[in-house]
Amino acid sequence: MEKESRPSWDNPMQFVLACVSYAVGLGNVWRFPYLCQMHGGGGFMIPYLIMLFVEGIPLFYMELAIGQKMRLGSIGAWSAISPYLGGLGIASVVTSLYLCLYYNVINAWSFWYLFHSFQAVLPWSDCPVNSNRTAYLEECEVATPTQYFFFRETLNISSSIDENGGVHMGLALCLLLAWLIVYLFIVKGVKSTGKVVYFTATFPYVVLIIYLIRGVTLHGALNGVKYMFTPKMEQLANPQTWINAATQIFFSLGLGFGSLIAFASYNHHNNNFENQAITVSLINSGTSIFASIVTFSIYGFKATFNYESCLERMRLLLMNTFELAEDTVHIDNISFWITDLNRTQPEQIAAIASRIETCSLEAELDTAVEGTGLAFIVYSEAIKNMPAAQLWSVLYFFMLLLLGMGSMLGNVTAIITPLRDFKVLAHSLSNETLNGLVCLFCLLLGFGFTTRSGNYWFTMFNEYGATFSLLFIVLLEIVTVSYIYGLKRFEKDIEDMLGRRPNWYWKIMWVAVSPLLLISLFVFYILNYIQGGAPTYQAWDKDVVREELTQIRLGLRSDSEISCVNLCAYSHIEMTVTRKRGAIPFGLRL
Amino acid sequence: MWTVWTVWMVWMVCLVPTTSEALCTEDDGYKVRLSIKTALGGDAYEWNESEMFFFKATLAFAMRTYSGGEQYDVSNILVCDETLRVSFVFVVTKPSNTSELVPRTEVENAIKKSRHRINSAFLLTDQTLDFVGINPTLAAPIQYDTPPWLIAFGVVMGLVCAGIVALLVSTFLNKKRSKKSADEEEAGRGNGILCESIRGKDGLFNQGLVDDDRLTKL
Repeated sequence: MEKESRPSWDNPMQFVLACVSYAVGLGNVWRFPYLCQMHGGGGFMIPYLIMLFVEGIPLFYMELAIGQKMRLGSIGAWSAISPYLGGLGIASVVTSLYLCLYYNVINAWSFWYLFHSFQAVLPWSDCPVNSNRTAYLEECEVATPTQYFFFRETLNISSSIDENGGVHMGLALCLLLAWLIVYLFIVKGVKSTGKVVYFTATFPYVVLIIYLIRGVTLHGALNGVKYMFTPKMEQLANPQTWINAATQIFFSLGLGFGSLIAFASYNHHNNNFENQAITVSLINSGTSIFASIVTFSIYGFKATFNYESCLERMRLLLMNTFELAEDTVHIDNISFWITDLNRTQPEQIAAIASRIETCSLEAELDTAVEGTGLAFIVYSEAIKNMPAAQLWSVLYFFMLLLLGMGSMLGNVTAIITPLRDFKVLAHSLSNETLNGLVCLFCLLLGFGFTTRSGNYWFTMFNEYGATFSLLFIVLLEIVTVSYIYGLKRFEKDIEDMLGRRPNWYWKIMWVAVSPLLLISLFVFYILNYIQGGAPTYQAWDKDVVREELTQIRLGLRSDSEISCVNLCAYSHIEMTVTRKRGAIPFGLRL
Repeated sequence: MWTVWTVWMVWMVCLVPTTSEALCTEDDGYKVRLSIKTALGGDAYEWNESEMFFFKATLAFAMRTYSGGEQYDVSNILVCDETLRVSFVFVVTKPSNTSELVPRTEVENAIKKSRHRINSAFLLTDQTLDFVGINPTLAAPIQYDTPPWLIAFGVVMGLVCAGIVALLVSTFLNKKRSKKSADEEEAGRGNGILCESIRGKDGLFNQGLVDDDRLTKL
């Protein structure tokens, strides 16, 4: 008999909020608006919602069911289903570990920006001046102040992944703070996490609403929102749209990391997880759509600001070159003036031809950005032009922090829960010590991402680290549950927990539709990888002052993370296969 | 004699402006552009002769300040090429010899020194009062003793560390307290009698319940 019963959530609301906090993360803010823009605005909702109901919610339901039934972390749960599948759980834990390592670096950057917002003038609004105060620093002149602040002052980026440089002390301090806060939130397991999620799950919505109101009242915001919602239906014919919708749902819900299994394992046996699964998935997608409205109003403001600055520059150029009075040239009649002057004084127009820009609002709106570029460069640029910029900056980066921390809670719980299931560890180390050791381990490895080449490592982990393995893990999960464990047994377990059998809809999804979808996604990724050639990353060229595509040199480099990550993913398949042959049961039993 | 004198006078009158026009070229002086309507919008003032006089006076002031008291006057500032843009070229002549020009570099330094005063006189900025070829000296960055971000960081770090210490200490104290009360129960105090009586059986497991999961509230 266990001396300590398994800890649990104080009430079901904590569990729901924990899942919401985990699922609603940075991807909702910086990936979904980009996809929306790329794939035809309002029209993207169609594949997105279809994928949500066909793939997202059934898989989410399945993971919660497994966790609540087995009442163990991912390793224990999958081993209990089949002894040969312990590797699946380990794969989940390792993927969560990779995610923990690099994800908290984003929180460190958010902290850096948050702390730098407490200044009279935001540091990314102006370029720093050179030593004799005659001009701005050249690197900053060619790029923009926001880009300069991100790449030079925040990251102090080197020119390639090979040049390590030293650790950026400020970022290292921020990373330390980020891990201390994660530790503070998870130190007592679900007892502390359960209280924290009340705040981390709800406050981002408060900020989003404030930003929505601020956003739509900005000058030019409606241009962006109109642009977003104008559907371009022809994009639906593009298979890439459907693939992106499927992958976005998949990664946005955080399937395959073992976090959902871990959270559900602390549930009461009869908890109604079916309704909760549907609720959390809908909230997650709703938040994506809501966040993209905010993002597009900000885009619209920024695009309009840039467009009007461009027009103003042209107006000044015309006035100065042709000595025209100020009130004769307005931003509305610039094109009229240019055609007129082209007729009357063509030589002078030709002389300044290189400086004449065609200002286009469409072109400004078309610049789609995603990821850290959107969050830290585009958004900060928009914020610095708002009145009371410091306040908006603080609010925004605080929201990013909450979103990131909420997801981190899930990721760290996914690592700690299976570890605690090992009786040896549970008895020799107390809760607090084990949690502290995990955080310390991740912190020390995470310092590598605060070096000068850290952003390149981050990009590699972000783009190549987890995507492939996760698809494989979840595919294996659904195949296991539907075929190896058996749908009948699974149905009975659910009936045992909920008091009713799952609908025919769920059964069809689990048995046929979701596995097929995952297989096609998997095949697509493999094809893409093979066709894509050597993987590449964007490197900051200090002389040209923009990002250039650089190839990652793989091969015999022993520290190449890509081969390591893929090797780890494949080694779990190897482990599973070896276990099958050797029939060594994994040491966990209920 | 009278006609000769008249002709000479007319010739002089015509020549002097030509001479001063000859002095006023963009190569020897500086072009100035004012964007009054852009800067002030509705409160913009009209550019007229009086404003030009004011400008000349301001420039003379700048020259006096820079040269340390040399008696520059409004007449030493020559202006030409006025346009509707509100742009013109000016040169500065020496007070001692009005046909000699002050070198460009001196004029540039004088303007740089008093740039802020000149801007304020016309309610304009470095961008709206443009001396073509004289780059504005950029504002020096604010120097802080302690960077403000470190202060914010210190505050948050302190709070977090305090929170962690408080939690760990409270957990430690709770453990000690529960261990002490467990020791006390073993000594038979409190409801130790009840504990001892069921100690021999399977712990605290009530055999009467078949499936305790349904009824156990954690």
